[in-house]
Amino acid sequence: MASADKLINTYVPEKDVFALHFLQSLSNLRTQNPLNSPDKSIDRVRKIKKAAYVSMARAAGGTSRLWSRALLRRAAKDDNKSVRFSRRKRKVTWKISSKRKRSNQRAPVVEEAAERLRNLVPGGGGMETSKLMEETAHYIKCLSMQVKVMQCLVDGLSPK
Amino acid sequence: MSNRRSRQSSSAPRISDDQMIDLVTKLRQILPEIGQRRRSDKVSASKVLQETCNYIRNLNREVNNLSERLSQLLESVDEDSPEAAVIRSLLM
Repeated sequence: MASADKLINTYVPEKDVFALHFLQSLSNLRTQNPLNSPDKSIDRVRKIKKAAYVSMARAAGGTSRLWSRALLRRAAKDDNKSVRFSRRKRKVTWKISSKRKRSNQRAPVVEEAAERLRNLVPGGGGMETSKLMEETAHYIKCLSMQVKVMQCLVDGLSPK
Repeated sequence: MSNRRSRQSSSAPRISDDQMIDLVTKLRQILPEIGQRRRSDKVSASKVLQETCNYIRNLNREVNNLSERLSQLLESVDEDSPEAAVIRSLLM
């Protein structure tokens, strides 16, 4: 299956890359809101969580993966900003198609499970099943890396 | 939560069933041990997808928990403690 490996890229950067991006995000949060700001704790948590996902998307390749593009786009929309996409050769249309056309229909039981997966992976709604699998593999690797980074940070900061 | 958009391009390379099986195998390797009894099989493909969904949900939940703990830790750090020095050196 050598040809398959060449087609499917599941390269994930080192943990350090994720850590660096996450710390930068946290630092930005700090400078936006000085220490004595009357932030409700739930807002703080929400901001940290969002910083985690956004920094993960950036560390994992920014706009070069479908899931990270979708994640960054969603985050930017929340902030009323726009995301800068590098020029892509394939034209991406954002129309909502009433009938989702998919070639390579798998067995119904597989498609059903794939539907649930589509709701969990950013940008999954428009992906073909095989593309979805590829994006999912990458997404999972990055997400678990992000969790490791956060766990390390929590462990380092917790009182001994 | 899913981003709906029409499929990107009809000339996208079609992945054959063999490559699909290879992808499922790769996913299976990434997931924590789920009792890999059978090899390529349509039924186990859907089980793998199921496990993947659960795994993603777990990871999201962990991110939530860790975010909460981080929020508490970052706010409750003593100004003079060694932890504060670490944070300062990392974040500033």
